[in-house]
Amino acid sequence: MKSNTINKLSVMDFLIYGSLILFSLLTIVPFILAVVVSFSSEQSVVMNGYQFFPDAFSLSAYKVIFMDGIVLKAYSITIFVTVVGTIFSLVISTLLGYSISIPKVRYRNVIALIIFIPMIFGAGLVPWYLNMTKVLDLRNSLLAYIIPLAISPFNIFLLRNYYKSIPTALSESAEIDGAGPWYVFLKIITPLSGPILATIGLFASLAYWNDYTTPLWLIDDHSLFSVQFLLYRISSMIQYMSMNTNMATVELPSETLVFAMFLVAIGPIILVYPYVQKYFVKGIMIGSVKG
Amino acid sequence: MNMKNGILAELWKNRSYYLMAVPGLALLIVISYFPYPGMILAFKNFNPMDGIYGSPWAGFENFKFFLDNGDFLRITMNTLWINFNNIFWGTMLAVVFALMLNELRNRTMKRVFQSIMFIPYFFSFAIVGKIVLLLFSSEYGLVNELIHAFNGHSIQWYTDPAPWVKILVSTNIWKNVGYSVIIYLSVITGIDEEMLEAASLDGASRVQKIRYILIPNLIPTIIILTLMSIGRIFFGDFALIYAIIENNGLLFETTDVIDTYIYRSMITGGGDYGMITAIGLCQSVVGFIVVLGSNWIAKRYDKDSALF
Repeated sequence: MKSNTINKLSVMDFLIYGSLILFSLLTIVPFILAVVVSFSSEQSVVMNGYQFFPDAFSLSAYKVIFMDGIVLKAYSITIFVTVVGTIFSLVISTLLGYSISIPKVRYRNVIALIIFIPMIFGAGLVPWYLNMTKVLDLRNSLLAYIIPLAISPFNIFLLRNYYKSIPTALSESAEIDGAGPWYVFLKIITPLSGPILATIGLFASLAYWNDYTTPLWLIDDHSLFSVQFLLYRISSMIQYMSMNTNMATVELPSETLVFAMFLVAIGPIILVYPYVQKYFVKGIMIGSVKG
Repeated sequence: MNMKNGILAELWKNRSYYLMAVPGLALLIVISYFPYPGMILAFKNFNPMDGIYGSPWAGFENFKFFLDNGDFLRITMNTLWINFNNIFWGTMLAVVFALMLNELRNRTMKRVFQSIMFIPYFFSFAIVGKIVLLLFSSEYGLVNELIHAFNGHSIQWYTDPAPWVKILVSTNIWKNVGYSVIIYLSVITGIDEEMLEAASLDGASRVQKIRYILIPNLIPTIIILTLMSIGRIFFGDFALIYAIIENNGLLFETTDVIDTYIYRSMITGGGDYGMITAIGLCQSVVGFIVVLGSNWIAKRYDKDSALF
């Protein structure tokens, strides 16, 4: 009887570890392969396909992408958009979230409704696109990257719930001492909101850094390509580069170039992942508590 | 009228707070509310010369795609089928993985597995598209190399539409399961320890505890997350699908969804704006009804499971 249970348990543990390891490999193996391919010689890829142990290594893919100004330009675009977009998004979202968290603001629920409606009934892609291009004239501008992602209803409700959870005694006593709403928000509430600001700021940064759909709709000027969009368009960029650099396409290491670009686009994310992961986990856990 | 209770009086009294709301609200109105009037395009015979408002009315002409357009049925079915599989298998796997991680006694292992599982959520869709290429490229891909190793014939993946629903759904789950796992794990962590201890004292096995305590506690969350996805069931998984399939017409039969179809008609095809606005309008209306409907059902079943 007893040995039977032990047996059952170990079978279960075996299954659990087996599935978890298998699933983890699905993430790790392609990533390692992509890195190896990016350092492989073009010829070994063309001859033998993507290999974990290529015939020859080569840095030529990296030489091409860093020699060509396009990648550095794309990096500066992505960094600019991520930094400016995140700050902009944080400022307007916290202010909006705070204003609707105050019980004495009588129309807070009207504002909340205005925020909520587009979540459940959107205008659709064509009106959105016409608004962006014809009305706001954002085609091929840096604002096209920043505007569409700046405000997320989900984040605003998250912020509102957080501000609501701060004891009102704090702001009330400051108000009795004569502090105005802006003072209370900036000097009392904001210093208490570190974790939620970190979480929302990081979600926004990730969205900006990884965005490739906005440029898909709104950007076709090569000098405004972000890193992710450059990666997405890499095949057509290879043709473009070959025209620009007077190199024939055959001379460009086009297969390995794709994965050098891959590593360039994913590198910063992998580097910061261990440090920022916990903020995302925390944010998801707060968000999952219904509010 | 007593100004003390008037709108203006309230706005003035709490002007600082309303002022705080202005920038965000203004932006939201510009990006989300400005497009609403454009929806009338669905009832117009659009030509760029006359613009949205100047173009002649078309009545319900644009909605004839229901009858005439052979593509429409296909892209709608593809959208629903891919989303259904994403929701169903995504939920199943997330719950299973959360339960598995919860069973791990070794905390370090638990953290390591959870971290690895969460990484793909951080990958951009452009990255995901290249990973799929890495695996399935007909000439160089890893999968074909494996098939070769077992003496099989390599498959021309990017010309055969048959396997792509499975590939797209697996990719979606692979990318997002870590996110859902965190939610389910946090629910499991919130379950009263005493209940589990009492069950152990009564001789409940691990499987019994999962079956009778953990899963029932997860059900409200499963319902909420499913409701949120069902509200989006008529909206294609555009970013992921377009990053992988791009404009590969050979694969459209199984992979073209409403949103990729709209994108292509607008950007590359210069398509019929009236008709695609009409399709978008139907998406929004049906999505709205589905959200309200499923929320109503959830409310009747269990008040805590409703979204609002």
